[in-house]
Order: sequence, then C-alpha cells, then structure tokens
Amino acid sequence: MNLFRSEEHARRWSGYRVEAEGGLTPLRDMLYIFSAETFTERMGGHYIRDMAGFRQDLMARIQEIKGDDPFWSVPR
Amino acid sequence: MSDTERLDRAYHYVQKFIIEHGFAPHFVDVAHEFGLKPEEGKALVHELLQTGIPCWAYPDTDYIASFAPFNSQPTQCRVTVAGETRWFAQCGFEALAITWMFPKRTVQIDAPCLDCGEALRVEILDGELQNEDPAGICAFVDIPFQEWRSHPLA
Repeated sequence: MNLFRSEEHARRWSGYRVEAEGGLTPLRDMLYIFSAETFTERMGGHYIRDMAGFRQDLMARIQEIKGDDPFWSVPR
Repeated sequence: MSDTERLDRAYHYVQKFIIEHGFAPHFVDVAHEFGLKPEEGKALVHELLQTGIPCWAYPDTDYIASFAPFNSQPTQCRVTVAGETRWFAQCGFEALAITWMFPKRTVQIDAPCLDCGEALRVEILDGELQNEDPAGICAFVDIPFQEWRSHPLA
C-alpha cells in the first residue's frame, strides 16, 4: 500500500504484479475511499462498538470508484 | 463497564497518546491510565489488538508496532502537522486517513516513490486535497481487497 510518482512508476516497481493492475488508483480516488466512516470515525469514542456498521460506507465508496473490479470484490 | 466500553476507552486512549507523542504507549502507560496493574494493562493491549482493527504488536513482544492510521516504528511515510514532523503512517493509504485525526489542520505527507526514490508530497485539510507534488501521484496495492486483513502491510 504505497504511493508512486505515477502509474508508470508503479508498474516499473520491483513489487508490481500484472495480476494486481486493479490495485492502481489515482491519489484523489484513494483519498475518497479513505474518507469512509471506517476512517473518519476513529476518534468518535465508540469505534470498537460501531466499527462493523462503518463497513457499508466503505463498500459503497469502493463500488463507486472501482465498480465490479474483482480485485476489489468483497467476501460475502 | 462492558468489555466493549473498556476496549473503546483503551482504543481512544492509544490514538490520543499517538497524536500527542508520535508513538504508541507502552502497556504500563495503558495500565496507569486505567488504574490497572501492569500485567492487566498488557492483557488489555493484546485484547485491543485482537479486535480486528488494523493494528499489531511487534512480533513476539508486547510493543504496539502499528495502530492505524499510525505506525510506531518508522515507515517511509512521514507526517507533518503545524510544522512538526512527529508521526509515521502505517502505509501510503492510511497516510491519507491521518487527515481525520487532525481536524481543521493541514496534514503534510512526505513519502518517496518506491520506484525512483523521488520525493512525493501530499497536503490534506479535513479530507480535501490541498496540494500534490508532483501532480499525478498514484496509489498501488498488490493484494486484493478481500485479503487485506491477512496481509496488513500489503
């Protein structure tokens, strides 16, 4: 889970795998995903109690950005 | 107090400690905070780390190594707030979520591109991207989303 100068740099990286092409995401889109309640509510005071309920927002954001990309599919 | 309430209080304490100090508390700090004996503080820390949150102890120790979005051990993702470079992010993705730990303050993330080593800088204020230098930065993970829990450093 790293940041790269560009997609071309990520593809050149020694740790890049072509099967993981779906793991490439523009910075702004990743910021949108990491703005889900899972991340915004950490200081809310009841994070452990409520964290299961935060997952829906995260899944919705991933769906919005990544569509049905199997790389981002969720276990049922 | 219920177990969940106790864990919520411990979680909140650890996050606040890291925000203040830049590193995670020792279990004795946790024990002091909650009026526990050291061994009880240690047990509470391990219980917290086993709740499924993306956090872990350094292997075979009782030291909190990582507590998302922060890392107690140095990583390549350095975080600066109000001119103080005091924190490390757990990874490049969680670095973006650190904005939510510092409301109304600009969070600056400095991380090198792992391909070329060029310095990358990102500035975020309350979840809004303020600056991206150079333009075109991208995020990459090589582990499918559904496997993230079993590969915390993917």
